[in-house]
This record gives sequence, structure tokens and C-alpha cells, in this order.
Amino acid sequence: MSVQQLDRELDRLQGLWSDGLSDAYRVYLDSVRHFDADVQPKLALAAALIEVGTRLQGLGGRAAPPTTLLMGDLCLARGSRLLADNAPLAVQVAFARAIESISSAAASETPAPPTRPLLQQSLGATR
Amino acid sequence: MSAARLEFATSRSTEFVDLTERIRDEVGRAGLRNGRVHLQSLHTTVGLAVNENEPLLLRDFQEMLERIAPTGAGYEHDDFTRRIDVALDEPVNGHAHCRQLLLSAFLTLLVEDGELVMGRWQSVFAVELDGPRRRQLAMQLDGDFVRPQRVDLPEALVEVELARQLMVDPEPVAAPMRRLVEAGGKRLRPRLVQLTAGIGPRNDPLRAAELAAAVELLHNATLIHDDYVDESTHRRGRPTVAAAEGPERAIAVGDYYFAKATRLIAEIGNPAVTSAVAEALEAICASQIDDVALRGAYPGDRESYMGVVRGKTASLFAAACASGALLSEAPPEVVGALRRYGDLLGTAFQMADDMVDFSSSSGKPVGLDIRQRVLSLPLIYAADDRVVGPEVRKLLAGTLGDAEVGRVAELVTTSDALPRVRREAQALVEDAVRQIENVELDGLRPVLAGLARAAVDRNS
Repeated sequence: MSVQQLDRELDRLQGLWSDGLSDAYRVYLDSVRHFDADVQPKLALAAALIEVGTRLQGLGGRAAPPTTLLMGDLCLARGSRLLADNAPLAVQVAFARAIESISSAAASETPAPPTRPLLQQSLGATR
Repeated sequence: MSAARLEFATSRSTEFVDLTERIRDEVGRAGLRNGRVHLQSLHTTVGLAVNENEPLLLRDFQEMLERIAPTGAGYEHDDFTRRIDVALDEPVNGHAHCRQLLLSAFLTLLVEDGELVMGRWQSVFAVELDGPRRRQLAMQLDGDFVRPQRVDLPEALVEVELARQLMVDPEPVAAPMRRLVEAGGKRLRPRLVQLTAGIGPRNDPLRAAELAAAVELLHNATLIHDDYVDESTHRRGRPTVAAAEGPERAIAVGDYYFAKATRLIAEIGNPAVTSAVAEALEAICASQIDDVALRGAYPGDRESYMGVVRGKTASLFAAACASGALLSEAPPEVVGALRRYGDLLGTAFQMADDMVDFSSSSGKPVGLDIRQRVLSLPLIYAADDRVVGPEVRKLLAGTLGDAEVGRVAELVTTSDALPRVRREAQALVEDAVRQIENVELDGLRPVLAGLARAAVDRNS
């Protein structure tokens, strides 16, 4: 699936593509090779959206202004929907747990685990 | 058997009060599936009738009553010098008693499959003959009611499940969410999940409660972020998470419960349910962006409003209804009908919520939406109003202090905006009820109809 084919999934978020989303997407593509070819781009994009979404929100750092927070929320929601529609249950659960651990650390004002390795690890979850 | 009193106030000496919808609501609330509604007037100058609610016809009836028993035609009952024990406030109403003799004091209506059996043009009237007054009808419902376990929903299960989930979470995220959850809320979304989860062949109250609690957590997670975006200081009478603990904590708590709720839903193990809720969440977030963007053109127009409300509010109502039905493995046509019901109900619910902003008895400060420039249909209609519109638009274009907010609220309430929104919300609810008319809901139709009507008939 080409980047153009992901256009629908980038609705309202095109501006982020050149602002780190495409880089993250390419990195995650390497972590989804064990899935069927047709879902690989969707899962890579889901992971990239979640990484970029939490960054936009300022999770674990300084709170984003409201409009940026809403963009971050949409990234998380779309990533979550892509996972719901395309990922095995174990991966969906692993992603949710990853966000739970990052946000819980942010709320506790303790250092959060780095997002990207956590999400890459989630893509490999089998149970 | 179920018994109640129907109370109403009249405003004219002769008045036809259409009670059809109220009786329908009572049937729904009571869960009467097949049986009868008995009505009895408790007054000698109030009659009952079934006829067509057409204003000119009602005037014909009134004139007919006047011709047969004219006012002040020398009734012996009105000669107080010849009567004994006459009360000080005894009205001159011989004509009203005579007119009542032409009507009935009793009425029985049939109920089949949870619906009043009424002809297309029939309405049920209480006929006031000596108003204006406060009046009462005695009402009894008898017959077959929806099975008690279906009416008395295990709502407590949702509360237990919410408490259980919050108990195992880290305190920095659990404490703010617990405060929000314990502050109340209508719990409409979880109730819809539980109701619809009882429709299909796989009825599992525990799984339904898990799903219902997760949907409520998700809803609350979106509220926590909303409150930061709207700069709200209070929700449900308590400080918002953002106001109490700062925006950083609010973002983290919202994210945590967004993730946890989606995980809980995924772990239920029904992919269709997971997708239904995930789609709704995406619609909510997209509409939030539109909502904030539209504040630049405040108060906006109806079309934009409807677009935002369908995403921001109605989508989760629709998902709650659909996901419950999917969980119970209800047939696709039932899931589709319930999804449409939820969508229309959610839109009507938001309209009713908008009206609450102008109600002094709501417990919330009047005009909060105006102050925060939140999209509101009454405000859109008032801004379009020929009389008050120019002043409303001028005030909204400027700085909104207490005086300006108060004046805008006053203008809205004096215009036709609130009745117009109420009519629109009620029409949406009736449309919602129609969506579920032709599918098999195992006796739950009256409950869902009653719930929908009650959701827009409120002041808080």
C-alpha cells in the first residue's frame, strides 16, 4: 500500500506528515513485517499516529495549547481505530497498555519509558 | 398493576389538553407490553375524550359545548342563595358541570406490544371546562409488563465495575477520575449499552456491565480533555481536573482512561464492538476540532451545529446502542436500527442540554455556554431571530462579561428560540422511536422510547 493509499487515514492530519509523521511511519514499517502485507501500512501508521499524538499533546511535558491537544487526541483516536480494525487482539492490548504506562508516569511526574521502543515492542505482542 | 396520577395545569376556561404523549411515556416507563390504561377524571368539571387534535375542530367542539350549555344561562347550581354549604371560593360554573355530562369521566385505552393502540388521527384529551386550574387524573395500567429483570436493570453492576476498575489504577490517575465518576452524571451511555445488550440471544449481564463501564470511562476521559480546551472550572459541581490539578495532569488522566477503556473493550473479545466504539471516538475527536474552529464564527449556523453534535455527542450514543446489541449478537437489522436510534437520541439530547444553559432551575450558572462560546442551537436561532437577532449578534461579537451574558440569555429566553429547539428535539426523539418500530426488541421498545423521551424532557 502506497502513501497515497493512506490518504484517507490522513484526513485532517496531512500537515503532520512532513512534521515527523512520515519519519515515524517509515521506522514502524520495519516493525510490522511479520503481519500480512495489506495491514502493514495501517499498523505502521497507527503506531506513528500514537507516537506523534502523545508528542503533540505534550504528554509527560508541558501541556499543549488546546487546539494542538485536539490534534493529538485525533491522532490517538485514529491510531486506536486503525488498530481496532487491523491488529490482533494482543497488539491492541499491548498498545493500550503502552499508553497507560506513559500517561500514568506523566501523571505521577516520574520519567516515562521512551515511546518508540515501547510501541515497537507492542507491535510484536503475541498474547 | 401500576398506578399513578397525571397532573396538569390549564390556562383557559375551556381547554383541550392533549395527553397522548404523556400517556405513551407512562406506558414506556412502566414497561407495559400488552394491556390497558384506565383513566379517571378526579373532577366534576373535567371530562375525557378521544378525538382529533386539529385546532379548528377543537374550536368547533368548544362552540358546540357553548351552544348546548351556554355560559350564564341561569343554572340553578349558580344560585348560591338557595344552596347550602357553599364554599367561599365557589365558582359560577353550572354550565361546566352540564358540559361535563356530555363527556365521559372514564376512559380505557389499549396497549399492544408496548404501544398505545391509537388511530392515525386520534389523540387523548382531558377537557377543561372550568379553568384555569391545576388538575389530576387517576391512571391505572394493567396487563403484561416487561419481565422485571429487564426493567430493573442491573445498573448497580456498572457502578461496581467502575469502582473496581478505578481501584486497581495508580492513584495519580485514579483519584481525579474517581472524583469525576463519583460526582454523578446521567449514565445514559452505559444504560443504553446495558439495555441493548439484553436484546440478542447472547445476554450476559456481566460482560454488558464491563462494556458499559468502559464506555462511561471513555466518555469521562473525553470530558477531562474538553474541560481543559473549554477552560471550564467546574463539572458536576466540582472543580475540573484541569482546574484542580493543572492541564498536564488532565491530559495524562484523559489519555490513561482513553487507553484503558479501549483496552477493556478490546479484551471483551468482540471485534465489531471494538470497531464501533473506536469509530465513535474518532468522530468525537474530529468534531471537537470543528467545534473549536467554529468558535471563530460564533454562534455559527444550524448545519455546522448539526455536524459537530452528530460527531461530538451522537456518535457515542449510537455506538453505545450498537455495541450493546452487537455484544448480544443481535441481528444486523436490529443493530442498524439501534444505531440510528442512538444517533437521533444523542442529537436530541445535546439540544436539550443546550436548553438547560438557559434554565435557572438547572443548578448550573445560566449562560455558561455563552460565556465559553460553546456551540448552542438556541443561540443560533436567537441570532437569526428577526426581533432579537441583531442585538444578540452585536453582543456576541464583543467582550462577554456578566452583563452581556445575562442580556444574551434574556434575549434568547424572550425569543422563540427555546420552544423551537424543544420542538426540534422532541421531533428527533419521535424519529428515534420510529427507527425501532419495526425490529424485534424482545419487549424493550417501550423502555427505550421512554428513556428517549425523558432525555429531552428535563431541566438539568
